[in-house]
Amino acid sequence: MPSKLKRVAVDPLSENNPITIQVLGICSALAVTVKMDTAVVMSICLTAVLALSNLTISLLRRAIPTRIRMIVEVSIIATLVILADQLLRAFAYDISRQLTVFVGLIITNCIVMGRAEAFALQNPPLPSLVDGLANGLGYSGVLLAVATMREVLGSGTWFGWRVLPEAYPGNGLMLLAPGAFLALGLIIWAQRTLSGHVEND
Amino acid sequence: MRSEDRRTLLFAAGVCVVCSLLLSTAAATLRGRQERMAELARRLNVLRAFGAEVDDDRGRRLPWEDIGALFDARVEDFFVDAATGEPVEAAPGVDAAERVERGDWLPLYRWREDGVVTRVAFPVGGPGLWGPVRGYLAIENDGVTIAGITFYEHQETPGLGAEIETERFQERFRGRTIRADGALQRVVIVKGAVRDRYPDGNPHAVDGISGATRTGEAVTEFLNEDIARYDVFLRRLREP
Repeated sequence: MPSKLKRVAVDPLSENNPITIQVLGICSALAVTVKMDTAVVMSICLTAVLALSNLTISLLRRAIPTRIRMIVEVSIIATLVILADQLLRAFAYDISRQLTVFVGLIITNCIVMGRAEAFALQNPPLPSLVDGLANGLGYSGVLLAVATMREVLGSGTWFGWRVLPEAYPGNGLMLLAPGAFLALGLIIWAQRTLSGHVEND
Repeated sequence: MRSEDRRTLLFAAGVCVVCSLLLSTAAATLRGRQERMAELARRLNVLRAFGAEVDDDRGRRLPWEDIGALFDARVEDFFVDAATGEPVEAAPGVDAAERVERGDWLPLYRWREDGVVTRVAFPVGGPGLWGPVRGYLAIENDGVTIAGITFYEHQETPGLGAEIETERFQERFRGRTIRADGALQRVVIVKGAVRDRYPDGNPHAVDGISGATRTGEAVTEFLNEDIARYDVFLRRLREP
């Protein structure tokens, strides 16, 4: 793999992670991480939407008139998100009920539009597809880490399987939104310490 | 019109056409399956209220085909007149859904064991603390004893009010009664434990969820309204 493409693929996983470094897509990271089931399905949906929107926008990048650039991006993203939502409703009914509005809200997830603007508009299709996948996986990694902390500490289970003894009472705070902030804060701290990232003013 | 403007308009129109074609194709192909899933989900929730075995030993839900088959074997939909409690038949030209909508008819389910009706269930629901709550309440065929309850739709706080969807909370209703000496009694979700609130016991009360007192109050409210609405039918169950 050429080294530039490799950077595109690897950077978003840690060095330039959309959540922990760019701090994008926080709202869904808080909302769907009470349980692993929902976090996994949300991760798959976002990664698929992000990869396909990057690919489509990159293919159209020379044709899209600059003045209506953003509205075209949003139309493409919205179409993909509605498709994902419809498929979930038909094939994963239980999960789609639990995710409620949050699949639809992928449309407003800053990561998707952010990657379209920052990458897909300037780069050819293959790197754009890789960039979409890598950013999706970077988002998924953090989402699953937060969901693991919340489900294990909050309910004593993981993917619905009991991992802590039956006597564990469950920490209610981890099930509420502040629990997600705590988990996310700890992950960002750990990740930035490890990668040596420093915020520039 | 400048050629650049024309190009922009054409491009926008093109995007709109392609996107709408994609979406309408997807909606048309998937609709059948989505409606089937919604119907199966409804059946699953009715079965849960009746206390049917819908989960395997590990607590995972049975496959959807089994849910459909179990429902067909045991459960039957029916309607009663809202004013008299008489069972009514959906004759040709009579739209049951429309009658229910207008409040003339009440929808119900029967549970059969060895061909004999042992339980009935009906939909319950109303405003919770954060949003609408929906569920089913099953009553033994004596019209007095609660056989089971299930809540399948709500927006209550996870870990607090959302506990109403758990088996642990729902089983507290089983065996409680809605009536004493023929008169309807108020079913209450108390704040805290029943034995603290009613030292002599109260067969119509269930323990509340700590931290979710207001969800409990909201559920208590609509539950009693719905029971009262179905009382005209439930009362008849006791008469020979």
